[in-house]
Amino acid sequence: MSERSWKIVSIVSLALILIGLLIWRPWQGGRPVSLGPQQRVETINPKMGVHTRLTDEVEPAKIKRTLEMVREMGAPWIVEYFPWAYIQPRPDARNWVHADDVVNHANRQGLTVVARLGFVPEWARPKGTTPLYLDEEHFEDFGRYAAEFVTRYAGKVDYVIIGNEPNLALEWGYQPVDPAQYVRLLQVVYPMIKEANPDVQVLAGALAPTLAPPGSEWGVNDLDYLQAMYDAGAADYFDILAIHAYGGVFSPDEPAATDEINFRRAELLRQIMVENGDSHKQAMITEAGWNDHPRWTRAVRPGQRIEYTIRAYEIAQEEWPWLDAIAMWVFRFPWDQKSYQDYFTFVDTDFEPKPIYEEVQRYARGEAQ
Amino acid sequence: MNRKRSSREWKWLARTAWILGLLVGVGALAAILAPGGLNPVSLLSGRDGTWESMQSGGVWRVGLDPSFPPFETLDKAGQPVGYDVDLARRMAAEWGLEAEIVAIGYDSLLDALQADRVDSVVSALPYDPRETKDFRFSPPYFEAGIRLAVPAGSPIDDVDKLDDHTVAVEWGSMGDMVGRRLKREGAAIELVQVPTPVEVLDALLAGDADAALIDNVTLRQAQGRGVRVLAVGPALESNPYVIASPYKADELGDQIAETLARFQENGVMAELEETWFGPPPAP
Repeated sequence: MSERSWKIVSIVSLALILIGLLIWRPWQGGRPVSLGPQQRVETINPKMGVHTRLTDEVEPAKIKRTLEMVREMGAPWIVEYFPWAYIQPRPDARNWVHADDVVNHANRQGLTVVARLGFVPEWARPKGTTPLYLDEEHFEDFGRYAAEFVTRYAGKVDYVIIGNEPNLALEWGYQPVDPAQYVRLLQVVYPMIKEANPDVQVLAGALAPTLAPPGSEWGVNDLDYLQAMYDAGAADYFDILAIHAYGGVFSPDEPAATDEINFRRAELLRQIMVENGDSHKQAMITEAGWNDHPRWTRAVRPGQRIEYTIRAYEIAQEEWPWLDAIAMWVFRFPWDQKSYQDYFTFVDTDFEPKPIYEEVQRYARGEAQ
Repeated sequence: MNRKRSSREWKWLARTAWILGLLVGVGALAAILAPGGLNPVSLLSGRDGTWESMQSGGVWRVGLDPSFPPFETLDKAGQPVGYDVDLARRMAAEWGLEAEIVAIGYDSLLDALQADRVDSVVSALPYDPRETKDFRFSPPYFEAGIRLAVPAGSPIDDVDKLDDHTVAVEWGSMGDMVGRRLKREGAAIELVQVPTPVEVLDALLAGDADAALIDNVTLRQAQGRGVRVLAVGPALESNPYVIASPYKADELGDQIAETLARFQENGVMAELEETWFGPPPAP
């Protein structure tokens, strides 16, 4: 071929590649979906919320549909996970596409977003550690991510949770569980967030309810852990306590007890806040719920799950003025987990509402149960 | 044009072939050593290594979670018993083997299969299309999904004939979900929502409902106790139980499929069902 022919072939090839990329648009992570008109949530209980799980939902249309259904159910609050490793996979790289989708669609649906921050990228932890491993050397890196997050979403996301269930070895990256170390994380990250966006409320804790005995390699009793947090000086480094309040096989009216895991264990955590001079602060339940798996030992019947869930929303509204919101785990998974986890959901992966969705919706509309 | 290769070309070819060979060798080794990787017997002989080792050891290692009667549970002596246990033993006997039952927690069954702790899982395991990349699933041997149930002698013999009738469901259950779906799709039915599956059947027998939407395990158990209730039409929400084996175990997979088909034909499956659920109701 002549030089001229080679040039033509090269130009045509480059043009084809360019057209292909424009059609494919791999950097956008899916076709954008219109936000639609501004919506508002109609509900008789403004504390109702759900934990969505959009982290691995890659289709913007499904992100939008999920959040529409949350609004239609009557829950004004969502808790959602924004993994650090997804947004900052390398120190010099940022990918906000998915997070933007979630935040913008949630805002447009009239939902208040509580952002859970965590999941450490590979570059910020030693080789061979899990993404939940965060050592003190990288607390500032995490703080910078959190500060960028609250700056980017100023006016759109007013609540962030620092970490998740740090009283479990698994969630603490299999480091020895250490409340003082978690408090040092708060002491680094809290001022960085506040400097970036003083309007943001920082949630801490999100402790796993557990009766782990002293010295257990798996975790620390949540009541002991919270007191140890206060002892280590946590009070000045969070605005709201995040609480996990799973009900297990018990009714939400089962009284709280230090040797029992039930919904009202939240009251014991609140009591520790009061005893440590934090009664002026609010709390928020960022995970709660009942499970109706037919084979799981900690499950209840489907009808009990409905009854208990609605009663828990009522308790939050009527009995706990110190609580801002309660988010039930979990609204929907992008795909079936094929385990007991599927029996925590309110809608199927294909968006078919479960009976619990419709019953909670009726409650939120004030219809008789 | 024909010409002899120079010694330099031959050297280049030899070096390239050597590097390619090394890469292929490393790849094959990685495929063998990876969790759930290739079985060396299969790799070298082209045969199913799982089936080969079952034959040489005389044992079929079957994983199950003995917490779901009547499919699998422990008897007073702590021994595993149930429909799946018998099914595994009957199948193993067909192949001249012994079934070795390995008790494993439900959520770890497929992990145990992948880690080669068992050869198959026979544990009321629902079919999961997402797992077909890693596991070989048998044809269904029990449909546990939601059935439309009616009292014996009912004129309702299909879901299309439910209009203007009452349908009992357990509140919040999958049967309730199916009932609500039918209503959304236009069926003129009234749902009678009760707290437990037992009360669903009670409502049906007491005449408080004309039909019921209930899972087939509960239904078959009731039928076995002599409750005169019949399932009509196909499952409205399917939940088939299958046997899982390693993806590479093609011979074992074929043997399981053939044996299940044979058991269907010669009445072994019906016999097992009658043993563990009781006799089916007369039509």
